[in-house]
Amino acid sequence: MRKTLSLYGLTFSLPLLIWQLLFFVFPLVFLVALSFWTVKNFRMQVDFDSVNWVTMYGRSVFWKAYGTTFALAAAASVLVSALAFPCSYAISFKLSETARRWAVFLMVIPFFTSYLVRVYSWQIFLSDAGIINVMLGWIGLGPYALLNTVGATMIGYLTLTFPLVVLLQLFSLVFIDRTLIEAAHNLRCGRLRTVFAVIIPSARVGLVIAALFAFILSFGDFVSPIYLGGGDPTTLSILITDTTKSGQQWPRAAVIALTMIGTLLVVAFAAVRFAYKGRTK
Amino acid sequence: MTNDALVTFEGVVKRFGSFVAVQRMDFEIAKGEFLAIMGSSGCGKTTTLRMLAGLEAPSEGVIRLAGKPINDLPTWSRDTPMVWQSLALFPFLNVIENVEFALKMRGVGKAERRRRAEQWLERMQITEFAGRNISQLSGGQRQRVALARSLVVEPEILLLDEPLSALDAALKVRMQSVLKNLQRETGITFVYVTHSQSEAFSMADRVVIMSRGKIEQIGTPQEIYRTPRTRFVADFLGSSNIFTGKVAAAEGGIVTLNTPAGALSLASPDPSAHAVVGQTASLTVLDTKTNLALRSPSGRDLNAIPVRMIGEEFIGATATVYLETRDGQEIRIQKSHEELANLPLQIGQEFEAYWSYDDGHLVMEH
Repeated sequence: MRKTLSLYGLTFSLPLLIWQLLFFVFPLVFLVALSFWTVKNFRMQVDFDSVNWVTMYGRSVFWKAYGTTFALAAAASVLVSALAFPCSYAISFKLSETARRWAVFLMVIPFFTSYLVRVYSWQIFLSDAGIINVMLGWIGLGPYALLNTVGATMIGYLTLTFPLVVLLQLFSLVFIDRTLIEAAHNLRCGRLRTVFAVIIPSARVGLVIAALFAFILSFGDFVSPIYLGGGDPTTLSILITDTTKSGQQWPRAAVIALTMIGTLLVVAFAAVRFAYKGRTK
Repeated sequence: MTNDALVTFEGVVKRFGSFVAVQRMDFEIAKGEFLAIMGSSGCGKTTTLRMLAGLEAPSEGVIRLAGKPINDLPTWSRDTPMVWQSLALFPFLNVIENVEFALKMRGVGKAERRRRAEQWLERMQITEFAGRNISQLSGGQRQRVALARSLVVEPEILLLDEPLSALDAALKVRMQSVLKNLQRETGITFVYVTHSQSEAFSMADRVVIMSRGKIEQIGTPQEIYRTPRTRFVADFLGSSNIFTGKVAAAEGGIVTLNTPAGALSLASPDPSAHAVVGQTASLTVLDTKTNLALRSPSGRDLNAIPVRMIGEEFIGATATVYLETRDGQEIRIQKSHEELANLPLQIGQEFEAYWSYDDGHLVMEH
């Protein structure tokens, strides 16, 4: 059936369409164009030259950052999914209706505070003279270098993604048909085994989408790797800022940004395909 | 306790908070029988089944399976597979994987598992759908998958919770015969919960009728149909005309009741029914045993009451005539078209409804 646009529908969708056009499609097109411009004597010139792509893709530092970023984001995505699952499982299966509502509310609270503020407060915990090292000092340990490590970056990623991943997992877990779980038990599937044999497959779409969001947010994040990881190892987001600062290389930065967008598109597409694999309408 | 009892309920009570779902229940399920538990919604029939499956724990009493108490046995340690009303097939597994599930949980090897699952698919005539997704199957096909999934482990007992309620009428009848044949061939004990009288009576060897958490009557469909033990059962089956009154006389095997429709008698072959004069009791007579005539019939040992026709209904080969007694009670008569052919069936027509003393059945009020 063909859908025709009505004036009524247009009235409501037009503002959004204009917004998307103005602030998403147009900048994206501009970004693509920008990546073919050239820089001469620290000045950008409108051009159509593949030099930026060739240069960036020929540099090992770019590929190293790319590998680091991808690995960190993938690790964060797996880690946060694994840590969030027991939490969302408990909320959806072990709590009463009222307690569940409170738990969901508590999961929303972190969004009240800016992510940047939360990362700064982690610095207070993790720095050499920070809360954790002081407390360890009381029992004669440390100080340990906690800040400016990969571990600290990972803590930042968890701070960013954990509440969201719990919420996303939760919404797929609470909608699992409880009789499926009873049926599994009834067919001699024990409690723990049911989690892997029935609950995880039933909630697969939600779990994969949650992990995907964790990956997307971590892959593009700038705050954690710079303020908690200390910019070492370099991630792509850090590389973008470095590139723009060194000699007005906005076109090269555009190449990095476009590569990131392309990567996320591929990952998102693969994840959604995997989530719905074997399902037919 | 008889030797061939597979399941016994001994003083089983189930409470949910202050609500009593099942009141003190004592009954046995024989090995190899097809038992139907019937009642309207909320009567405790599903709770009874769930206690047997281990999905609910009894608040009091003991449930035994093959002589052993199973109260504290979790459902995954019992062999009491159940077929759910929603079927509860796993949507993320295909047909044969669903059927294999229970075998996999028991640690049966891959090849053996596949072989046994295929046997059941064949038996249920769904072999061609082995690789399909559940969402691609019709209602009847899903039904067969659910049965195969539960029966693949060849259990001693199968629990069924209104499994046919989602099917259309024609398919329902077909699945009834599939179920009945399956039960007969395998000899597996079936416990079948339903609110449908036709399902229970057409398939079951014995029927348990429940109301408000209590067992009203247990018996063969014939027994329950002919001799309902309580007024509730007679009402619930809806196939009898019921006249309630006080016992006026009880001697020589004949009990007479004074009812608003007049004095009615019945032959009571069961001396243990001990009707006491003055007590409230009901006379029930099947609507198929109630006859209709224009004039008062002659003959001994007949009850006859004047009635006026208020409606009729044709279903297939039989007709149901609705009539009203002088005191305003509605009664029904079910006959074939031939039997009614000589009567002027018109609304408002006066008739005499009559039946033999032998067809009357006494139900004492408790």
